[in-house]
Amino acid sequence: MTSVEANTEMNCRDVEPLLMAYLDGEVVEADRLEVERHLADCALCAKQSEVSRHNRTLIRTLAKAGTPPAPEALRSKVFTTVRAEQAQQRQRRFLRLSAAAAGVALCAFVGNQQWRSFQRRLYVEDAVSRHARQFPLEVRLPQPEALEAWFDGKLGHRVAVPRFPNAVAEGARVLNVREKQAAYIRYDAPTRASARPRQVGLFVFGDNGNDVDVGARAAPDLGNSNGYNVVSWREGDIVYQLVTDLEEDDIRELLPDNPGRAPLPAVRPAPRPALEAQPASFQR
Amino acid sequence: MLGFSTKSDKARAEFEGLVAPWLDALYGGALRLTRNERDAEDLVQDSVMRAYRFFDKFERGTNFRAWLFKILTNTFINGYRRQVKERSLGDESERQSVEAQFFSADTTEQAQNPEDFMIQRVMSEDVLKAIDTLPIDFRMVVILADLQEFSYKEIAEILDVPVGTVMSRLFRGRRQLEAVLRKREQIEEAPLVDLNAYRERKKLA
Repeated sequence: MTSVEANTEMNCRDVEPLLMAYLDGEVVEADRLEVERHLADCALCAKQSEVSRHNRTLIRTLAKAGTPPAPEALRSKVFTTVRAEQAQQRQRRFLRLSAAAAGVALCAFVGNQQWRSFQRRLYVEDAVSRHARQFPLEVRLPQPEALEAWFDGKLGHRVAVPRFPNAVAEGARVLNVREKQAAYIRYDAPTRASARPRQVGLFVFGDNGNDVDVGARAAPDLGNSNGYNVVSWREGDIVYQLVTDLEEDDIRELLPDNPGRAPLPAVRPAPRPALEAQPASFQR
Repeated sequence: MLGFSTKSDKARAEFEGLVAPWLDALYGGALRLTRNERDAEDLVQDSVMRAYRFFDKFERGTNFRAWLFKILTNTFINGYRRQVKERSLGDESERQSVEAQFFSADTTEQAQNPEDFMIQRVMSEDVLKAIDTLPIDFRMVVILADLQEFSYKEIAEILDVPVGTVMSRLFRGRRQLEAVLRKREQIEEAPLVDLNAYRERKKLA
């Protein structure tokens, strides 16, 4: 708002642009006094002011009088839409939350799956290395019943020694796999390819905590490590892990008679890093 | 989820309570901005929806009416200005609908003083039509100052312009308005519309 020096009196040209603001009560106090002093002295401006005041009031009154209220339909439509928007917002928020929750659950699931498969792999590898090291047997008995009797009381779980057709038990011992005590039974199994029997090592874990975790399935799981095939399966709280350098076909010969067991799945090769570049000699 | 929904219900109820008293004013303003009823209804609807979406940004205790009109004018400027321009101002069907509204509404008021009522109706219509002829920048200031009676400072905040700009636009807007009305009334000298003078002329005619 323009402020004019107090000592210079306003003339008509100073007053004109201030007149509207003056009528609206929007000039600062000093200007209001100046404008009023000028209007008192100048008949022309006083007249103009009167006309402007009259017109301003008339325009305001008539404009307001001619403005209809909001139609009732609009009123209800507006609030219906607001409610619909609220419902939509709520739904969007719910979907966002659900999506986030689902994401967290999926991550947890995938993470857990990977952790378990990693753990499984560690057990497989350690079992293979223990078997390969040919630890001396503590007892040499061919009869499964005698071996079961020998294990009685030695471990936290009862050890049932599986009977494999054509395979003969050599003996047994207690052996740790990843710090977990297991019964270890060594068999000699015949092969179709050669006359010489091959060794089969069987680890029996008490695993009510699902540490070894062969997938908590009764179906045997076939894996391999360092050239050995490893077959794992679970019977209740007992996990069996069979390590052998027998060929897959020979393993199938060995296992089919076990009652109630699902057929052996196709061999799952150990993961191997993909080769992105090959040495020149490999390229053709 | 329960926490969310109760909070949201409370906010919605608060919003509805704040908006309801200003719906007529919003519609009146929208009618002058868009110059037709259909667009005015859409504009109000859009503006209220926007206000609802941004309601958490509204600072409680500040001027809600000014906040609503800021949203109304912004919504108009961003979405409606071009669209509305395409319609011709003097569309005969719209004019008729405005007139129909004038003469149909409020029969009780009419009965008390039929002649004055009619005169005022016609004059109101003239003023509104004159406002509608103003360029949009002047029109917005006139709508906010004379129809909604916002202060210069509030108008400056609503339109995001300095107070000095509000002052000069209002000055020029009102001058143009007077000129348009004077032309309609065929009076060269002020005062431009005087109810008594109008009656006198009517009697003479």
